[in-house]
Amino acid sequence: MAKSGTIQEAVKGSYASLAKSADQKSCDSLQTEKLVKYGYSSEELQTLPESVVTLADGCGSPTALATIREGDTVLDMGSGGGVDVFLASRKVGPNGRVIGLDMTPDMVSWAQANAVKLNAANVEFKLGQIENIPLDAESVDVIMSNCVICLSTDKEQVFQEMFRVLRPGGRLAIADEVALRVFSEEEKADPSKWCSCITGAVTEGVYAGMLENVGFEEVYVKQLRKPGESTSGVFSAFISGIKPAKNRSQ
Amino acid sequence: MKRRLMEILACPIDKHYPLDLHVFEEKEEIVEGLLVCSECDRWYPISDEIPQLLPDDLRESMEDLRWLAKWKERVPERVLTSGKPFSLK
Repeated sequence: MAKSGTIQEAVKGSYASLAKSADQKSCDSLQTEKLVKYGYSSEELQTLPESVVTLADGCGSPTALATIREGDTVLDMGSGGGVDVFLASRKVGPNGRVIGLDMTPDMVSWAQANAVKLNAANVEFKLGQIENIPLDAESVDVIMSNCVICLSTDKEQVFQEMFRVLRPGGRLAIADEVALRVFSEEEKADPSKWCSCITGAVTEGVYAGMLENVGFEEVYVKQLRKPGESTSGVFSAFISGIKPAKNRSQ
Repeated sequence: MKRRLMEILACPIDKHYPLDLHVFEEKEEIVEGLLVCSECDRWYPISDEIPQLLPDDLRESMEDLRWLAKWKERVPERVLTSGKPFSLK
């Protein structure tokens, strides 16, 4: 495959230009239709400003699928325009907080501007990389992520970092692309396929195995929609897991 | 950046906690400020309310140094001279 730095630059560039194009994008009914298909409700989308909905993308709705509780500290890895952060912020309430982490400066600025618009007091956006999460160990109750981990060139490090920052008993709520087959090194070297959330994806067995290797338990990969509409070789899934509680008897 | 984020922020490289905070401009949130890891001497800007905690290879040295020069009167000497990954001297 291409050098991981090359792929990472391509991913960063591709999402930077998406953020830059946000001003020109309009939030038409097609965009809402797509998001409803992902699991968002049109009612909740209507409560968000157009500048949030217009950039929303992913492959599922982690906030709809996650067991986010009032008072939770939630980390969204690859928060983009912030749609999942804002939806989660309502679930955690004033005593909780939601942190959006993204490595694209334009995305974080856009999301922060949306936070000001929404007057969201329990929301924070940070510029950072999911392979090097800038949070203290055991500081987070729920990690969510929407179609982002498949873009990482070092998923093992991402999973180690997720395990580190979660509190014992902390939960994963991840929407991501999962591969139906193993992609060849040649396919993986194509930055455009990688950036479209295809060839960076790993198979269900590899995904769950990597999570279990770093210590997660009760790992489930649940298919969200039937593949087959495209021949891309991936399907959208919801991945859950738990960091075991410390005092549990072995 | 809200001050209460300091409760959980750590250095993305060596995971040291807590980071040192220097505030240069504050409204409802910290608008401009500096985060420093006392363990590895890395510094991270808070600019336009956003804390920038990227690993070294994703940072833009020119932009970061321009920011550092802009606030050099307020930045601790140690960061100016030997801060990582870039310093003014």
